[in-house]
Amino acid sequence: MGGAVPIFLGSTRRSREPRRPLQILTNDEFAIFAAAAARLGPSALDTPGWPSTGTLECAEKVDGIMAGLHPRAAAEFRKLLHVFENTATGLFSIGSASTFTASSAADQDRRLNAWRRSRVAAFRSGYQAMKRLTHATYYSSTETYALVGYPGPPVVPQVPA
Amino acid sequence: MVLAPGRIRDARQEPNLATECDFCVVGSGAGGSMAAAVLAEAGARVTVVEEGGHFTRRDFNMQESWAFPALYQDHGNRATEDLSITIFQGRTVGGGTTVNWGSSFRTPDSTLTLWARQHAVVGLDAATLAPHFQSVEQRLSIGEGTPDDVNANNRKLLEGGQKLGWQPALIRRSVKGCARLGYCHMGCPVDAKQSAALTYLPDALAAGATVFTNARAKLVETDRGRAKGVVCEVRGSDGDPTSKRRFVVYARRGVVLAGGAINTPALLLRSKIGSGSLVGRRTFLHPSVPLVAFYDEPIEAFYGVPQSVACHHFADRGERVGYFLETVPVHPMLAAVALPGFGAAHQDLMRRLAHAQATIALLIDGHHDDPGGRVSASVDERIRLSYPLSLALREAAGDAIKNMARLQLAAGAREVLTLHEEPVAIRSEADLSKLDDVVFGPNRHAVFSAHQMGGCRMGEDPAHAVVNSRGRHHDMENLWIVDGSVFPTSLGVNPQLSIYAHARLFAQAIAAQG
Repeated sequence: MGGAVPIFLGSTRRSREPRRPLQILTNDEFAIFAAAAARLGPSALDTPGWPSTGTLECAEKVDGIMAGLHPRAAAEFRKLLHVFENTATGLFSIGSASTFTASSAADQDRRLNAWRRSRVAAFRSGYQAMKRLTHATYYSSTETYALVGYPGPPVVPQVPA
Repeated sequence: MVLAPGRIRDARQEPNLATECDFCVVGSGAGGSMAAAVLAEAGARVTVVEEGGHFTRRDFNMQESWAFPALYQDHGNRATEDLSITIFQGRTVGGGTTVNWGSSFRTPDSTLTLWARQHAVVGLDAATLAPHFQSVEQRLSIGEGTPDDVNANNRKLLEGGQKLGWQPALIRRSVKGCARLGYCHMGCPVDAKQSAALTYLPDALAAGATVFTNARAKLVETDRGRAKGVVCEVRGSDGDPTSKRRFVVYARRGVVLAGGAINTPALLLRSKIGSGSLVGRRTFLHPSVPLVAFYDEPIEAFYGVPQSVACHHFADRGERVGYFLETVPVHPMLAAVALPGFGAAHQDLMRRLAHAQATIALLIDGHHDDPGGRVSASVDERIRLSYPLSLALREAAGDAIKNMARLQLAAGAREVLTLHEEPVAIRSEADLSKLDDVVFGPNRHAVFSAHQMGGCRMGEDPAHAVVNSRGRHHDMENLWIVDGSVFPTSLGVNPQLSIYAHARLFAQAIAAQG
């Protein structure tokens, strides 16, 4: 996504505040990723018993992952979030000139699908970055193990010292 | 056997910012540990610098959320620059051997012959390597696979392959007293897998070597055409990449690089050693294309020996790129990352996790006209890897998916699913034609690599190779490379045993010359 400078930023709607101090992301960037993660992750509202990406603090965990990466990689990810959020992207992707965070759930899914299937390779890369980070942080959480039929790690046999 | 206490030192705790030795070895995986052991046992003072941390079986908690950030490059997030190929590469004491599945194959004769004929590699034939393979096989307890090693995930590959006459075979593994838990790639919690951290590194330590952990090799320092030492950057605590504290290892006799394909060429590029037109080129990945099948009965591919069966029926396809088939374990995080879609559709696939079987096709790149990928190290020092999937590789991926689907149906799968972002579902032989039109391209289909090779290829012609056939750099007589980056092509088999054996041969030559 390098080089793409967002022009039409719009204002980011913050659906929730981070539950711990952020290391890399700004509050707006946090809100953008949290909103994307809420759509990328399981449909918590429709499936009782499944924790939401917010409950499992996926966005907070992604902020922690970014803190461990090369600063240039983290900067590229932050830039990606701004491109994904801005109104021009909405117009270009799905014909709706609103920010991602201010869009309806249906329009958010449309924008994600537009990037997922895009002929623009950089959009597909951007979608994959957000998708993989969401699913990695969500499904590596022990709270989800039973929901997917995974009993968790077995008991380790004793090893002689 | 555990690592001798007090001789593995955390660079973050070291007050002295310089040390001296005969040989500085960069990396503690298969190549680095072997070189360190051979050189130290020959009487040299050896210092090993390792970018990752030192973890033991007590740390290996079998949780993906811990293992990938702690044990893998880029905290488990390494990928090609367009994110189209996910790269799994170890970054810890023991390197890739700490996180691999222990699968052990000798370098195929056909690959050695190709290197001799097309890449001017001299004196590397099966007979020359045989004593080195034998020695490593003994040290790592590499033995024949047994039927008890085959879990349900691998049994589908075995049975499906047998039904189709494709001659799948059990894999030899580097284990001793395996508990068949299923978590080799998160570090063996019972020390059954004979990783470098349990074998050649303790050998090196017993012979007097020192290992510094959390020390990332930043530059090879040179002086008048000779390698003088290695400048390391000490990693910050808890993964903070911004520490700028330097740590210098001066090497009186020479520097031995074993950071693995990707890191070794990047180190040479940052150090401006050798020709930029060669270093980092021809990087090969065995690009791996997965296919998931769902069965009525539970497969529980998260338990049992992760990889115990391989099928090389399609390794030689003549003028077309070959491939071989293996399995991968199916734990929640990796499965979630690989499975396509999002929201409820993705969630539905995840609910079927316990019934999922995963077969992969590893494309044998570099044996035809495919040029592989390219490693570059930019000014800001972030390593970049580009790897366009050539038409020849795409053809192989398409053929492999069709044959994997055939195999899984033969093994009784209810449904086979491609990992395209627009997945294709196969429920019978009649559905296979649906695969004729599937599109391969960046981020349209899951592709990953656990085998990185090339980038500093060997050969006797300095115009076409970075090092000679014994790993010595063509432009610098006291600089050697002993990792998988020297391979002129991919191997066509899992690489750990080949890296160990080549490193042993090369290290003995270094000890004799250095």
